[in-house]
Amino acid sequence: MATGELLTPYDADAPGRRASLLGLATRGTAFLPVLALVLLLPRQSGDWTNDAIFAAIYAMVGLSMNVLVGYTGQISLGQQAFLGIGALTAANVVHTGTNAPDPFTFALGMVCAVAVSAGAAAVLGGIALRIRGLYLALVTLVFGAVTADAVFTIPSLNGNDAGVSAYRPTAIQTDYSYYIFAVAMVGVCLYVDVWIRRTKVGRGLIALRDNELVASSFGINVLGYKLLGFVLSGAMAGLAGGVFAFWSQEFSDKDFTATAGFNKALIFVVMVVVGGLGNRAGVVAAAAFFALLDPILSGIAHSTGWINYYTDHKAYISNIIGAVLLLQTLIFNPGGLGQVLRPFTRWFGGHPFSLHDEHGDAAAAALAGGSDVRA
Amino acid sequence: MHVLASAFSTETNFVTPLISGIANGSAYGLLGLGLVLLYKSNRIFNFAQGEFATIAAIVAYVFDRGTGWVPKAPYFLALALGVLASVLTAMLTERMVIRPLFNRPRVVLVVATIGVALLLIGVEGMLPYPQTASLRTISDVLNVRSYVTQVDHVAILDQDLAKFIALALLAVAAFVFFRFTPTGTAILAVSQDATAARVVGISVERISATTWAIAGLLGGIAGVLLAVPPSGSVTPGSITGLTLTVAFSAAVLGGMTSLPGAFVGGLLIGLIEAFANADQSFIPGLSSLPTAQAEVAVAIVLLVILLVRPRGLLGQEA
Amino acid sequence: MSVLEVRDITIRFGGLTAVDGLSLAVNEWEIVGLMGPNGAGKTTAFNCITGFYKADEGQVFYRGQDVTRLAPHRKAALGIARTFQNVGMVKSETVLENLLTAQHTKSGYGPFQALTGMTAVRQREKELAAHADAILELLGLTDVRDRPLGSLSYGTLKLLELGCALANDPDLLLLDEPSSGMGPEESHELGERLLALRRELGVTMLLIEHHVPLVAAVCDYVYVLNFGRLLAEGDPDHVRNHPEVVAAYLGAEVEESA
Repeated sequence: MATGELLTPYDADAPGRRASLLGLATRGTAFLPVLALVLLLPRQSGDWTNDAIFAAIYAMVGLSMNVLVGYTGQISLGQQAFLGIGALTAANVVHTGTNAPDPFTFALGMVCAVAVSAGAAAVLGGIALRIRGLYLALVTLVFGAVTADAVFTIPSLNGNDAGVSAYRPTAIQTDYSYYIFAVAMVGVCLYVDVWIRRTKVGRGLIALRDNELVASSFGINVLGYKLLGFVLSGAMAGLAGGVFAFWSQEFSDKDFTATAGFNKALIFVVMVVVGGLGNRAGVVAAAAFFALLDPILSGIAHSTGWINYYTDHKAYISNIIGAVLLLQTLIFNPGGLGQVLRPFTRWFGGHPFSLHDEHGDAAAAALAGGSDVRA
Repeated sequence: MHVLASAFSTETNFVTPLISGIANGSAYGLLGLGLVLLYKSNRIFNFAQGEFATIAAIVAYVFDRGTGWVPKAPYFLALALGVLASVLTAMLTERMVIRPLFNRPRVVLVVATIGVALLLIGVEGMLPYPQTASLRTISDVLNVRSYVTQVDHVAILDQDLAKFIALALLAVAAFVFFRFTPTGTAILAVSQDATAARVVGISVERISATTWAIAGLLGGIAGVLLAVPPSGSVTPGSITGLTLTVAFSAAVLGGMTSLPGAFVGGLLIGLIEAFANADQSFIPGLSSLPTAQAEVAVAIVLLVILLVRPRGLLGQEA
Repeated sequence: MSVLEVRDITIRFGGLTAVDGLSLAVNEWEIVGLMGPNGAGKTTAFNCITGFYKADEGQVFYRGQDVTRLAPHRKAALGIARTFQNVGMVKSETVLENLLTAQHTKSGYGPFQALTGMTAVRQREKELAAHADAILELLGLTDVRDRPLGSLSYGTLKLLELGCALANDPDLLLLDEPSSGMGPEESHELGERLLALRRELGVTMLLIEHHVPLVAAVCDYVYVLNFGRLLAEGDPDHVRNHPEVVAAYLGAEVEESA
């Protein structure tokens, strides 16, 4: 019955995870430029601050896609709906007219954004439990369009088509202080992602992604965990939506139309695949890249005199860049950007620096081939 | 069914939604045929099918007008060139994207077709032509009145009739192709067991190329018929954005593995949409959002069919 | 009381009756074999015991409790562990992660608690890892601890799968052809290992097995299935010389070689 008592006790510290004090100091120092980039660069101008907040929002959406697509293995073409639901909820809960909300109301708005989004994701997940394979992609696609056209357009929720204002509390009123708040929220998502991956939650999700029969024979409640994957993903996207509402200082259904939403949904899929499914550092980097693509390209176009051409074609240009990156990732580099970053992220994680990666990558394995276990 | 009955009994004109439903439904069916073909043979959802159609429309438009260095071609030759462009695009997609990924999980292939759709939209957008233009209709070209007949004072546009006839003919042709021709049966054999098909001497590569070429052909024909006034245009991404999702729902309703199913499903979804649009009280509680009614109605149909009868109306088991 | 008791289970797929009124019992500390030619319904019976298939008729009892309708993950939580014919593990994960995944039901923290990363969760994770290490040591697999599964040989994977089944402290172990793909030497070693596991850990086992010497060496009792029906039962020697069993196996072999 109990193998535990018979087996030898353990050595608490697993080998290879403990860095020396010197190693810790080195890593800390090496991390400084990254930290400086994240915290100081957006300070340079108001535009940069705004773009950086947008990148933080995308990073959260990327992490939410990572939970659903990367770990749980469920495809979603409707993630923008959770972003919208989060924004709508936050704005409507806080709704203080032209005044800044007090911190408590603001926090309540954010919590509700997370909760309502997670609830909506649970509904979609409940449907998804009964729909197999690729049909789920279609259902999420339709879910996104219906949410945009039949929920966001309800006059009592979108301020009678004029938008619901969402002013920031005084403490984070300036763009830069709001940016710091957004980065902190990314930090929350990252923390949750780390603990998903380190505990039975992530192991359960990945097991059911690989093979549901094996997962259930390991004692994992496959239906429950699939639902959990949807809920966690929806919660993160809802948080991103809350941050979005107070960034643009309103909820407007014009930001979440079905057509714009469809394009967003595709970009979200592209960024999680290009970042590397299951790889948080890669996903955050890829999300930031796609968020900043437009400002960077328009900057280049400005300085090279192509700005008119760029403005006319910018949606198409970013489409091509996204598509090429997606296809090259799928065909040549299934581990994505995360695989490229891995030697560095591993080193930061306390392992010795090595370009050779014998642990492989869950993303590469997940994308490389399905499991063939049958019962 | 009482929903439809209530639509009948209201004062709303019954013929108008019937005709527009069949017209739109034909469009969904035309696009759905290609989706069904690729699902039947490769078990994937091809999100690039809408852009295969748009490519055909753009190329046909450019040749019809003869803009820039492109010589002006007779209208029907221009349409044929458009369809050819779509076939070539589909074959290129197969060779460059699908074949290298063929042994990966299906979901990877589907994500890849999303990438192809994005790429095609981007490339189309960079081409120098007026992106809000439409193709000329057949009646424009033949210089005849634009409607064939009138039912109850509602005109039936001959372009819509052409779509409907094309859909019916293609559905029958595709059905016959899979049932009776060696290539058709070989495609089905490969889809069921690629290894076994290879053992009996079928070239899986050639079959894959053929399948995609046919998908391109179907998409191209859909494109040159859809990108016309009053509602259609040669705008990049417009068919993907407006028609593709509904065409998927139509294909699922008909049964993803049935080509006649795409015909039936397309028309049914077209009619459901049209009646939902025509009747403010089609879905109780949504009367304040008339524009969303059609979409919600289609979503409900899709969900019900997936939950109750996943193989659709005419699909096969498994 | 038997650890596992199967009473008259029947499983049909459409017109085909895959298992027809099968009854068997596995008692405490026993190693019981389930034999039969290919297609006899052994794995189907297994899948019914573990909950992947629902029996059309009959019942399954685990330590007197009716578990016929229990979902597979609930049975795993009760202490019923299984292996698969063609290695069932999480392919994209490392050896250690698989052993941790296999301990899912005894993690001792809830999924939402896990995300807080609180001390109790960290402490439990350390204990789970230690248990995984102990199992690796028991099986002599410590070297491959951090390797991805893709880089391991089939024999190692089979052994590791056994390790995963053990990781959850099972009370009843269901092994589906544990010696498949093994030579006589390896399969002899496997037999020794199974006997040692019973001796040291006190697990009761039911195994599907073709390899007669292995069955003879480890099994206390054997059931033979043919065409979904119980053909014979008894101790290995008795069953081996049973004329119908000989006929069934020879018949199957004649068909296969034809």
